[in-house]
Amino acid sequence: MRPHIILLSAAAILQPQWADAEGTRAAAGPAAKAEISNSKKYEAIVRIECSSLNPDYRTPWNTGRDSGGNGTGWLVAPNKFVTNAHVVSNSRIVYIKKVGDAKPYLAKILHIAHDCDLAMLELEDPSAFEGVEPFEVGGLPQLDTTVKVIGYPIGGERISITSGVVSRIDFLNYSHSSVDQHLTIQIDAAINPGNSGGPVLQGGKVVGVAFQGYSGNVAQNTGYMIPTPVIRRFLKDVEDGRYDHYVDLSMSEFTLVNPAQRAALGLPNDGIGIMVAHADADGSAGGILRTGDVLLAIDGRPVMSNGLINYDGEDVNMNEIVERKFAGDIIKLKVWRDKKPLDTQVTLKRFIHYLISAKRYGEKPRYVMHAGLVFQPLDRNLMTAHNIKDLQVRYHFTAYAHDEIYKERPEVIVLTTVLPDAINSYLGGFTQGIVDEVNGTKVRTLEDVHSALQRGGGDFDVIKLLGNGRPIVLERSRVAAAQKRIQEKYNVLRDHYLGDAEREGAPPEGR
Amino acid sequence: MRSLALAALATLLAATATRGAQPSPAKSVVRVNATLQAYNQIRPWEKIAPTTRLGLGAVIGDGKILVTAQMVTDATYIELEKADTSAKTIAEVVAVDYEANLAVLQPSADPDFLADRVPFELETELRPGDAVEAWQFESNGTPVTTEIEVSKAEIGPYFLDTAFFLKVQANGPVQYRSGSFTLPVAKGGKLAGLLVSYSSKDQISHILPAPIIAHFLADLEDGEYGGFPNLGVAYAQTLDGQFRKYLKLNGAKGGVFVSKVIPNSSAAAGLKVGDVILSIAGHDIDSRGNYDHPVWGKLSLSHLVRGQPFTGDTVEIGILRDGERKDIALKLLRRKPEDYLIDPYMFDRGPKFAIVGGLVFQELTMPFFQLFGKDWQTRAPIKLLMAQANPEMYEEKGYRKLVILTRAIPTPATLGYERLSTLIVTEVNGKPIHDIGDLVEATAGADVAQHRIEFEDYPKLIFLDADLSRRVDATLEQRFGTIRRLD
Repeated sequence: MRPHIILLSAAAILQPQWADAEGTRAAAGPAAKAEISNSKKYEAIVRIECSSLNPDYRTPWNTGRDSGGNGTGWLVAPNKFVTNAHVVSNSRIVYIKKVGDAKPYLAKILHIAHDCDLAMLELEDPSAFEGVEPFEVGGLPQLDTTVKVIGYPIGGERISITSGVVSRIDFLNYSHSSVDQHLTIQIDAAINPGNSGGPVLQGGKVVGVAFQGYSGNVAQNTGYMIPTPVIRRFLKDVEDGRYDHYVDLSMSEFTLVNPAQRAALGLPNDGIGIMVAHADADGSAGGILRTGDVLLAIDGRPVMSNGLINYDGEDVNMNEIVERKFAGDIIKLKVWRDKKPLDTQVTLKRFIHYLISAKRYGEKPRYVMHAGLVFQPLDRNLMTAHNIKDLQVRYHFTAYAHDEIYKERPEVIVLTTVLPDAINSYLGGFTQGIVDEVNGTKVRTLEDVHSALQRGGGDFDVIKLLGNGRPIVLERSRVAAAQKRIQEKYNVLRDHYLGDAEREGAPPEGR
Repeated sequence: MRSLALAALATLLAATATRGAQPSPAKSVVRVNATLQAYNQIRPWEKIAPTTRLGLGAVIGDGKILVTAQMVTDATYIELEKADTSAKTIAEVVAVDYEANLAVLQPSADPDFLADRVPFELETELRPGDAVEAWQFESNGTPVTTEIEVSKAEIGPYFLDTAFFLKVQANGPVQYRSGSFTLPVAKGGKLAGLLVSYSSKDQISHILPAPIIAHFLADLEDGEYGGFPNLGVAYAQTLDGQFRKYLKLNGAKGGVFVSKVIPNSSAAAGLKVGDVILSIAGHDIDSRGNYDHPVWGKLSLSHLVRGQPFTGDTVEIGILRDGERKDIALKLLRRKPEDYLIDPYMFDRGPKFAIVGGLVFQELTMPFFQLFGKDWQTRAPIKLLMAQANPEMYEEKGYRKLVILTRAIPTPATLGYERLSTLIVTEVNGKPIHDIGDLVEATAGADVAQHRIEFEDYPKLIFLDADLSRRVDATLEQRFGTIRRLD
């Protein structure tokens, strides 16, 4: 079992924190004067307080559940603060607080990158930070060198500093989205809830952003920070005013250790090359690489049979090359195909279909409610909220990208809920079915469900679920009255929300 | 001499007594001691540790004993024992039906072992309110009879959850004596059924009733066992008024909607998805899928197909198709477990497997899924579960069985493949693999330096050194005794 990684923003109710802050200021008044130099020293490190609305995918028509929390941020450029995406995800209001100043300053999110858990904030009125020196972003720290973690973790209101050494540099899962892997640095300085987004310093420069760790009963003295290659990439990506996300080769590879495997592919037993197991059709390498190809070199660097390359003297995952690239960049590949070398290249792009398995934020859940039947597009949030156990749905969720389910169903629409009413009293058993056809229209998106139900098809609405020969049938003459009754009874203000056209991860062309 | 004469006299008396005797626990029930040993699903060349099952059998004449199939699943050794004298003899299984949970045994070394016993006759006329007796023995051989009262009947599974049969329920406390797996149930001295389960909490017993036993025995008479037929449909209720209107069922009473027809089943010859079944064998089917049984009241329609007619019989079905009434006649068939893509159960035979170079290939069966524990439906790999739920996905492509790589035994040939497991094999050396025989043929017959093995999923493609595999297999054969089982 994979140990549960916790994110380090302190989830707490906002109100009591305000009260605490007031109290602290009164008591600390005289002492604060004596430590002016300290406040000065840390004034580029801010406390971020955020109140958020977390949508409930079980009642998608509601505004969501209120919550609040706090984290840390730091000044990277005039009026540009960096923090973790998870500190400000689903936020409604974000305040920044300066060291030694209890006044909250209203901030807004300029960019939020869920795939690498970073965000950039800006103040409405930057005057409070005029003259404050932004941090410089440093390089990759060496193993066993000392770093300092600064921030506003639990255990008090004021700034906290802990220190430790760089323990390990590795590729690791970022638990904010739960599907993205990037370079990560493990340190043994105490990192606690509230440290999230805060700077990790070495020689006065930022060498990382504290972001996740294990709860104390899983592992001790293991905190993780986002290293500067990831931070720099984020800062560069947003330079044009827009975050374009990470790109991916979108392929799976298999180690070439077995001598027979190497011999059959016509390779010498020299430890070079990794076999392409599968390249996602819609991904960067789709149509370029195929099963049985061997990747010999990427961007001119030989790929070892375990998938590592040598980069700056270190053996790192070959994806480290792709990690530093941007959408539209071209990457050169040396491939071994049919026992002959082949030079080819790949234009990198984002693989949109993997998002189905990512935790999503800042989106209003989309749905259609018709005669008490609630239809919603399948994604990770939906799977979790409805605790979906149905095999067919689980298969579509798991194999959506690999088995190219998106070709037939850009969106997999699930009948998640039946709000009981006289019109649907025999339909409770149909929940967790995948909608295949509505009124004769093959369903590819939620919009299809909505328009087919609006249009109708005769005396009955006929909804066919995948793998179930028994259609759902509703008498059209009864629907309008039922709809009104159900909306009133269950407090469903709007009977559908189809989303904004520019929604992140919207199905690509062909919808 | 004297003692011999006495012995002869005793035999004679017994014979006289037998002729006019009524069945009784002492004379009509014997102990059955079985040693069971199933095959290991993950190391298919082995059997798991043996277990013992002590139960009771009903003497049914012709020197035969009736027991539940559960008594003898994967039996390696069966003993009959007379409760009164503790005389024992070896027995063998003459016939077994795991779906109906019935088996017939006979002494294999001493044909006259049961000569002094009194065979049961069957009592098929059971009804609610009947008092019946469960028969068993104290450990010293003294008969114990317990009266319970028949309350109702339903259609449910006996012990395989894929096969549904008539189950009679009876109420009343039944004290459990050791060695009493499966108690014969008697009514008026005749065999009314076998008690297959008892819950001490609510004092409810379930009885496998005589009509099913009679069906099983009658089927055996001609020496060719056909088994209980299946219809091969999934159906949905038609209680929903809107659905009834949509189907134009307003004029009709009851009926169930055919939502799935299994290819090559009895139903495939005449029923279609969308048909509404209104009657079977002259019985009206209500909108829940029940009919009125003269004794038991509402019973599931499956009893009309499975519990009464025999395989090969024809059954009349009244349907509504596209708003019109029709009568169709279906010849009833039975699908044997080995006819399924994934065998629903396997007893008395081991998984079909073949080891190549240390890679263990095996046909996927339901017992394999049980390896994932009680929650196998969520814990087993999703691709395998999908195949189990939708076998037609593979059957349409010509698969007779799914061959999976269950695991890789670490050998020089499997270097780098140690972590591969539960992968569906699609092709070997360019030949499609539709059962384990295909795989053996594709590897044994191939003149290649490396075997090319393709899987449905990651890593899609691996190679095995052919020479090295042969050498590895020879070593493994010495270690395991065998490296393949093809039938």
